Amino acid sequence: MVRTTVVGNYPRVGDTFEEQSLRRAIARFDKGEISAAELGDAEREVVKVVLREQNEGGIDLVTDGQISWYDSQSHIARRLASVEINGLARYFDTNTYYRQPVVHGAIAWKEPILVDEWKFAQANSKAPVKAVLTGPLTLASLALDKHYRKKKPLALDAANALGEEVSGLVRAGATHIQIDEPILTRHPEDLPLAVEGLERIRTRKGAAALTLFTYFGEVSKIFEELVETPADAIGLDLVQGAATWSAIAKHGSKKPLVLGLVDARNTKREDPAEVAKKVLSLKDRIDLKASFLSPSNGLEFLPRERAREKLRIVSAAARKVGVAS
Amino acid sequence: MTGLLTTSVGSFPKPEYLLRARTKASKGELSEEGLRALEEKATAEWIHFQEEIGIDIPVDGEQYRGDMATYFAENIDGTEISGLVRSYGNRYYKKPIIVDELRRKGPISVDWFKFAQARTKRPLKGMITGPYTMMDWSFDEFYGSREEACLAFAKLLHQEALSLEAAGAKIVQVDEPALSTRFDELPLLVKAVGTVTKGLRAKTILHTCYGNYNEIFEFFNKLPVDQLDLEMSNSGLDLLDRFKREPLKKEIAFGVVDVHSHVIEPESLIRERIEKALTIFEPEKLYIDPDCGLKTRSVEEAQAKLRNMVAAARAVREAHRLT
Repeated sequence: MVRTTVVGNYPRVGDTFEEQSLRRAIARFDKGEISAAELGDAEREVVKVVLREQNEGGIDLVTDGQISWYDSQSHIARRLASVEINGLARYFDTNTYYRQPVVHGAIAWKEPILVDEWKFAQANSKAPVKAVLTGPLTLASLALDKHYRKKKPLALDAANALGEEVSGLVRAGATHIQIDEPILTRHPEDLPLAVEGLERIRTRKGAAALTLFTYFGEVSKIFEELVETPADAIGLDLVQGAATWSAIAKHGSKKPLVLGLVDARNTKREDPAEVAKKVLSLKDRIDLKASFLSPSNGLEFLPRERAREKLRIVSAAARKVGVAS
Repeated sequence: MTGLLTTSVGSFPKPEYLLRARTKASKGELSEEGLRALEEKATAEWIHFQEEIGIDIPVDGEQYRGDMATYFAENIDGTEISGLVRSYGNRYYKKPIIVDELRRKGPISVDWFKFAQARTKRPLKGMITGPYTMMDWSFDEFYGSREEACLAFAKLLHQEALSLEAAGAKIVQVDEPALSTRFDELPLLVKAVGTVTKGLRAKTILHTCYGNYNEIFEFFNKLPVDQLDLEMSNSGLDLLDRFKREPLKKEIAFGVVDVHSHVIEPESLIRERIEKALTIFEPEKLYIDPDCGLKTRSVEEAQAKLRNMVAAARAVREAHRLT
């Protein structure tokens, strides 16, 4: 038995006319033909569809697909004090771009960022909706810092601000919080700072389950420390980060893991039986019942129809694990 | 002594009539021939414009391409084209999917090279989307190894380079915008580009952009091409100091106008940039061009930027008595 989840983002458009409603709405908004409120309506309609697709795909713990996010960094950063949003920068090794946050002064929480989006998604989902936040270390690393001149105070102020947001999400009813720190796959030496930031978020999360997720690479060298961090579960990209696998097999984990075994960056369809076999090989090393199976990162890098298939592969593999265990 | 020859990176914006025609064609409301005729018209117009302002080494302007990787993939066996994926914001594109062994169906860009070269006496660049970028921007359902997929692209793109040379290309440019994606794969990129350029008599160029150049600097002299084409103005010209300390053993095409900005750089600013470049590079090894393809600008913006660029290069040439 293993449960299923997704990592965060989901394709906002597909290849049919109906599936491109948001693309058209944004274009009309940019031309001044519709209001921000109407654009918000168009986004929420897509969120409903994305929740339905995850539901039909057999996902136990879903997200809102981050449909209203311009990108992983600026959606959060633009609502923090002392941050402006600048030009495009390449996002890790993906052929996608994010608007780079520029930090001009002390970062602080000033208004709710994700709470309304989360409430709407949860009101439209039978499955629990996980709230996903870009981690303070990743935010600090990808921003252009013109104030602190040092990563540590920037990351820790960001952590305090994100902690405030997490507190609001939990008050609104969120039971699952995920903090994404993909930068750890590039800078594992920054783990102590990630931990310090996470500790500040942990104190604000109440009874919610807190997951720390890394993707776009492996974390084998810091795996032992990673599973000791102040999170309730650890999410791992085991496709691009396949090298982490041997560390799990060797050390095991007392904490539940989110096993990102289905490739969210390639269209190739995995055989659910093969995926299930891999999961089952860990049954003596981790608590499978408390763990999740997931794609390796957000599904937005795939065409919509292939993202739907990947959801089905995740849930088919999880069912096979259930039958065998 | 000659020097400061002007050129372009590759793409130019498509005129309104061509954009409308492409939309119609995608809905099946315009035939392939109908679209082709308008692509030819736009290409001829861009060649004429480059002649008129006096660009030394013209390009065909890529009026017939949507995405640079997808266009090549559409003409390679063993690929399919994916559904839409997001690039950023509200921009989406279709990616190649490798589903079988990659093979060249036949010449890919040679017809367009011939069409454009027939309209100018100046040497036109042959343009190839590089093997590393083709691999990095494709989904792979066949090879299961980035290296294998990359080298398979390299092999068939070498055939394309030979075809361009046979069609009369004196210059072949390999575009590798994905070059700085993964630093640990730079040796693979060097190997793959070397496979494409091996044995060519034509002058070879490697273009890249959006790069963290400081991280890849030490690879510049290892790249198996005669000329590097770099985005310089968008990176604030801060690489120049490093070139002073660690000289480039190749020609350089030096980007002097920002392709991401609506601002039309005045001639005086471009002259300053060229003068700065001249303090580091020999004029005969220094080419002047925009940072990258101009396709995201409007036709008017692109033309204004190119006009100022050519005028600035001419003024600097005169000031330094270069012919």
